[in-house]
Amino acid sequence: MDSASSQAEFDYLFKLLMIGDSGVGKSSLLLCFTVDTFEELSPTIGVDFKVKYVTLDGKNLKLAIWDTAGQERFRTLTSSYYRGAQGIIMVYDVTRRETFTNLSEVWAREVDLYSTNQDCIKMLVGNKVDKEGERVVTKKEGLDFAREYGCLFIECSAKTRINVQNCFEELVLKILDTPSLLAEGSKGLKKNIFKDKPPQADASTSSCC
Amino acid sequence: MASSSNSKADADVDDEVPEEALEHFDDFTLASSWERFISEIEAVCRLWMADGPKNLLEKGAVLLVCSSNLYKVKSEMKYALKSYCMEYYFESTSDGKAIEWNSNLHDLQLCFGVKEFLVIAPQSASGVVLDAPEASKLLSAVAIALSNCSSLWPAFVPVHDPSRKAYIGIQNMGTVFTRRFEADKIGSQAYSTSDLSLHLFKVQFAMRLTYRTVPYDDDDDIKGIDAELTNSRENPSGETSNRTQWDDDCSWSEWYSAEDPVRGFELIAILSDKMVESSMEMAELENASPHEAEKWLISPSFSPNLLEGSKGSRIGFSSQLHLLVDALEMSFEAQFMEDFVSVENPGSDNLNSSMVIPPPTVIDRVMKELFHEGEQLTEFSDGEHKTSRYIKGAPLESLFAQFCLHSLWFGNCHIREYVREVRWCWEESQSLPRMPANGLLDLSTCLINQKLHMLAICIEKKRQLNEDFQDCIGSEDHTDYSTEEESVAGDETSNKQKPIENFSGKVDSFSISDDSHSSGRIIARDGRKPEDASLPTDKKPSECTRRGSAGSIDSMMLLKSYQSMHAPYTQEAPLMTEDMHEERLQAVEAFGDSFDFSAQLEKDILTSDMSAFKAANPDAVFEDFIRWHSPGDWEEDDLKDSVSSSGINTGKPKDNWPPQGHLSKRMSEQGNLWRKIWDSVPALPASEQKPLLDPNREGEKVLHYLETLRPHQLLEQMVCTAFRAAADTLNQTSYGEMEQMVTKMDQLYLTMASGLKPLQDSETIADLRRLSVVFEHVEKLLTLAASLHRKLLRAPRLSKEIFSDFYSFYIPRMGTGLKEDVVNKEFDKKLEVRNHERGVVSSMFSPPTANQSWRKVLSMGNLLNGHEPILREIIFSLCDKVNGNHYAARDPNASQTEMQTYRMYICGTSNDLRVALSVVSCD
Repeated sequence: MDSASSQAEFDYLFKLLMIGDSGVGKSSLLLCFTVDTFEELSPTIGVDFKVKYVTLDGKNLKLAIWDTAGQERFRTLTSSYYRGAQGIIMVYDVTRRETFTNLSEVWAREVDLYSTNQDCIKMLVGNKVDKEGERVVTKKEGLDFAREYGCLFIECSAKTRINVQNCFEELVLKILDTPSLLAEGSKGLKKNIFKDKPPQADASTSSCC
Repeated sequence: MASSSNSKADADVDDEVPEEALEHFDDFTLASSWERFISEIEAVCRLWMADGPKNLLEKGAVLLVCSSNLYKVKSEMKYALKSYCMEYYFESTSDGKAIEWNSNLHDLQLCFGVKEFLVIAPQSASGVVLDAPEASKLLSAVAIALSNCSSLWPAFVPVHDPSRKAYIGIQNMGTVFTRRFEADKIGSQAYSTSDLSLHLFKVQFAMRLTYRTVPYDDDDDIKGIDAELTNSRENPSGETSNRTQWDDDCSWSEWYSAEDPVRGFELIAILSDKMVESSMEMAELENASPHEAEKWLISPSFSPNLLEGSKGSRIGFSSQLHLLVDALEMSFEAQFMEDFVSVENPGSDNLNSSMVIPPPTVIDRVMKELFHEGEQLTEFSDGEHKTSRYIKGAPLESLFAQFCLHSLWFGNCHIREYVREVRWCWEESQSLPRMPANGLLDLSTCLINQKLHMLAICIEKKRQLNEDFQDCIGSEDHTDYSTEEESVAGDETSNKQKPIENFSGKVDSFSISDDSHSSGRIIARDGRKPEDASLPTDKKPSECTRRGSAGSIDSMMLLKSYQSMHAPYTQEAPLMTEDMHEERLQAVEAFGDSFDFSAQLEKDILTSDMSAFKAANPDAVFEDFIRWHSPGDWEEDDLKDSVSSSGINTGKPKDNWPPQGHLSKRMSEQGNLWRKIWDSVPALPASEQKPLLDPNREGEKVLHYLETLRPHQLLEQMVCTAFRAAADTLNQTSYGEMEQMVTKMDQLYLTMASGLKPLQDSETIADLRRLSVVFEHVEKLLTLAASLHRKLLRAPRLSKEIFSDFYSFYIPRMGTGLKEDVVNKEFDKKLEVRNHERGVVSSMFSPPTANQSWRKVLSMGNLLNGHEPILREIIFSLCDKVNGNHYAARDPNASQTEMQTYRMYICGTSNDLRVALSVVSCD
């Protein structure tokens, strides 16, 4: 994934959403992905939003990534961010079991409830694998849950940056593989108010798929 | 070469003249055209014989509609300026068994008891009628050809008028025997069987009786019209139709009455081969009851409209949806609602072509019904399909969905009247009917529905506001006190908290008002629950200044003072419709990729929460707030440390004071935004804070949206909602869970979900038209499923199998194209009735009423519950052993089996009789 040089032109716009308990490292992951740094961040208040341009599979993509706060108080509001998301990243902390169990007991249910997109791609991410010594959730448990819930799975660390690029890349590739999501991505483009995009975006859409 | 072609031409002109006068260039010149005709037939037959059934199938033999096993190939040839068509009928699997008398025999098989056969007829069978000499000439040509290639196929030639179904035929039965066939219809003659020499032979007897139920729905045309009136309750004359419709209790009957797709049933009872030895026995058999028959077959007779394409003749959801799509197309051209509505007026008939424009009184009535008689709803989801929420519409029972359905049947959307009513509700603070006044906005519904939901909530809040102004009494202290009592009485240990959204300080009205679960709840985790306020923890000096508390939190103590922590009432998170989300998103995007972005709205909520927490816990510090609001950011020190520090007191956690721990690294960092906000907020209970949602402003905004709605915006949402609501309505019908129907319904929802998604460009209009065609098919199938289900309630297997047969028959023809594919096939699958189902089937033949029983005069017996069969078919046959005959010895088949030497097929009633004879003779 390379950052596209020109920010204005893109073929598809995808909306990704990050969810999970507070403190599992969602914002750090996002920061690591978007600006390639790691730092301790203030807890997100409500929601954060980042845009990243990438070129993948020969297509220029604009990723709008919504990073939600894990605090329960914000959860009712968070529900609205599920709307129209093509990818949902569910993050847990491999050193805190409750963040993992909450995914199945709380977050997965929220996804089913609020996601307006049947085909939307879900990805399970176990963060903080750099703290291998403190690990309490095994990789197998993660895999089992992912299999049961029908989503992608990866373990990564925002601190060491291991697998972070991979994680987003994998998710986006999967979205590119799903025709209905692809259609939405290009439709979002049409509707986009800030369309400085050239009209030939449509043509390139049809030619590359 | 030239001369040969000449001679051919000559021969064609005068075919009867032998060509001896010409010189012998070629064999063909010798042959008469008659001879050439024969050799042509012979060649074709040889080819077919050589191929055998397997190869013929590969070469594209056609399966006959009526049969599962009978195929035909054909070849055309010319003779005497006429072209003839020869067809060879054969079965794909020739197992050598004698044919059984079941439902799907070819007519000729039935008449003559043959299996495979040839038919030769003039090309245009309807135009050319063969007279007897011509027919026999044709037949002998075939016979010669067949014997030339030593084929044993029987061959038939039609004679006379096609309606008589008269045939003659011949079959070479080996060396010595020839079988001749003849069938004809006898117009008016009673038949008797006495001419058979019963005393000499044992006669095989088989009979097939066909019965038909009294049609269910004779006068559907009249019904179709008045159904529209009665069912939408818009019959102004007040005339009540006392006829009960078959679909009265079906889910769609609120909107229209469908024509019953099942006209009736035909029952075929078959008495198979019985040996009869005396005329007495025969007479008995002739009057045998169908109940004695070995086999019962049932077949439904469907309404002819069931198979018609979308000609608009059928009124249903689909036809109305089709009109709505037309309206959508028109709406793209209209700028304002006024333009559009005037286009819709009766002056231009585009939308209203098939519609009766209801008078204004009717509209008033429906509006009234929609708004004032609608019950208050809290939960939808009843009878909704699982994928229905993926269609951006509105729940079936909701105000907007009902409006859309009414509009479908009006053929005109009275949006202005509708908005006027909504505005009235708002002005008068009357709660909006058919809309829940609480809960979260469902962003998967259409925008209008979200807006209406928002409005309903705003009205509710406004009402509470007004009430509060009216009886605004009591000091704040009193308020707080009563609040805590409320929490004891009503809240108990539930995690739910009542919303605080008022401005005057009166709180209790909210606590009873509604159940706004999932919004504004107390944050409580790990078993820490809001404690009853009556527990003796309140006796603290700071109690008098504690405001807006929802009760103390079990086992949570403040850090800096020995008090239990109280959860505050918090403001409900403000609701946002999807366009508001869109606005926010755009604002965020416009901000660019700014590093520090945090949504203002969420910041407001956090500020409000902190403010309320401060008010409820005057002595609390930032760490306390974090412990309550974001427990993950409070890291408790190791248990060992706390034990060692606090000594012996380990029994009650409450005594474990002060709690040991520290903020997480990210919370304790310099310049943490949370702490900044904490430091800046005043202590204010939620009730005194500036509301996060201003009901007056938001309500006005909603109405503004509704009043300035562009026609195409409205129509787009109406189309989605109408499709969804119509499907949801149909889906409520019980049809006995027929597998294919369930699948089809699922498919329909999926198709709709994807088809209705891109409602932007005009190219989708064609897609939408296709979608309404798909909808029509599904609607038809569902009507049929429902009809079969209720008619065969006690024999579910029959209804399922009949439906399944029809389904596989129907599916190939439901192309989604708009142009009609005319496939004129008849559905005539018959289904065997099992023994235990006979009772159910027989009960469908209710004894005829007095005016029906006049037919009995002609009765010949075989009555089923007093019903005379509409068709009676009988086969008599005589068999002879032929193995004694030395001539036949060479024929292996004939030498081993009995040969049917005489066969007679009789069909019909005494004054309309068809007889077919086949006789084997030795010549």
